[in-house]
Amino acid sequence: MTQADLIDRYLNAVKLWLPKKQQKDILAELAEDLHSQIEERESVLGHPLEEAELVDLLKRRGSPMRVASGYIPEVRLINPAMLPLYWMVLRIVLLWVLAPIFALVFIGPLFDSQAPGKVLAAFFATAFQSLFFVIGIVTAVFALLDRYHSKWVDRWDPRKLPHAPRSHQQMQWYNDFSGFAFGMAATVFWAMMMWHRSAFVLSSGFRIILTPIWGQIYWLVVALTLERALVDLYCFVRPSWTPARSWVRLAFDALKVVIALLLLRVTSWVDIGGTDLSPADVAKTVGWLNGMIQVTLICAAAIMLFDGLRQGRLLWRAKNGRSRPVLTVS
Amino acid sequence: MHTNGTNSELFENLRLELRRGCLAVAVLLQLRSELYGYAIRKALSEQGLAIDENTLYPLLRRLESQGLLVSQWREEDKRNKRFYRLSPVGEEVLASLLAEWRQMNSALERILAVPASLNMQEQTQ
Repeated sequence: MTQADLIDRYLNAVKLWLPKKQQKDILAELAEDLHSQIEERESVLGHPLEEAELVDLLKRRGSPMRVASGYIPEVRLINPAMLPLYWMVLRIVLLWVLAPIFALVFIGPLFDSQAPGKVLAAFFATAFQSLFFVIGIVTAVFALLDRYHSKWVDRWDPRKLPHAPRSHQQMQWYNDFSGFAFGMAATVFWAMMMWHRSAFVLSSGFRIILTPIWGQIYWLVVALTLERALVDLYCFVRPSWTPARSWVRLAFDALKVVIALLLLRVTSWVDIGGTDLSPADVAKTVGWLNGMIQVTLICAAAIMLFDGLRQGRLLWRAKNGRSRPVLTVS
Repeated sequence: MHTNGTNSELFENLRLELRRGCLAVAVLLQLRSELYGYAIRKALSEQGLAIDENTLYPLLRRLESQGLLVSQWREEDKRNKRFYRLSPVGEEVLASLLAEWRQMNSALERILAVPASLNMQEQTQ
């Protein structure tokens, strides 16, 4: 292979990666530099460069793609200043929204199905699609923000920053985070699984029949769980406590206690069917199931009461000036 | 604990950061008189500042697009070469850059002149 052939090949390979408008100009300059280098090398060696020597010189210069990359302007997708927010949003969406939804949608069928392999395959296929879709959407939103509203990162005022967290808020973020995750899971469960449902039918034909009370409280529960999840998300993103926040939580807790009390007014929440058990065993099983639901409802009401008391205590402490800032600049 | 490999990688990254700005100043200084690419590289190398061709040519292009350099193609020794020189804007910017560099250099020299132990004492007082 001649010297000219090798140089032409090299320059042609560089050309492939160069911006179209500048190709001719850059290649002419590169060719001139290569010839100057070859001339100098030949004058040192005292003979025309052999093929191996020219190959060595070109290799030391770098791969065509690497050489071309120097001429390509740096393009960024997301403003570096927005990266922490980008990672936070991505983490929340993936770990605390997508993962619970998938767990909720697939865990039941996985244990219930006759062919768990098919459920797993469907899970992985859907999970990958959703993963790429969600990451793509979040990235696109941030790229658009960077393109059209890049200045908003610098528009800030120290007076408008969230309050520094107080001592009781140090552990609060975990509660808010998990509250949001469980709230979303509960919302999805109610919205999808309880919509116009009168019974859960298992593959063996066994049915858990729901009494009409569940249909009567359907929309109230969906609205409450969703609203509570969103309040928890807001509390997590802006962790500083305000009295309004505790009042909102207190209102939700009160509403939930009311729902639990409404449910506790009836004595039967579920029945069973499609089983070959004796009537006595059916009655015993139904009694056991309803007993479990009763205990769960009582516990839920107690938890809500406890949370309500906690919010009340926070409000009382704030009113009496008992809360103390943790971050103090000395 | 860092291994030697990590340390050398760290050093290399910091060295590149340190060189990046210095190279731009050196190229601007060199182009107070007109030169073409290969000659710039040789001139800098002879003065102890070796610069890779893959760094130099994109840098020249960037400085020209920023209006700090002007260039023209001209034949010399039967070959077409692109000659660069400092533009009037480049001269102004270079003067400011040199002032900045001198200030940083003297600050570093002053910091270096103070023994580390004395620095610690000052901080504790």
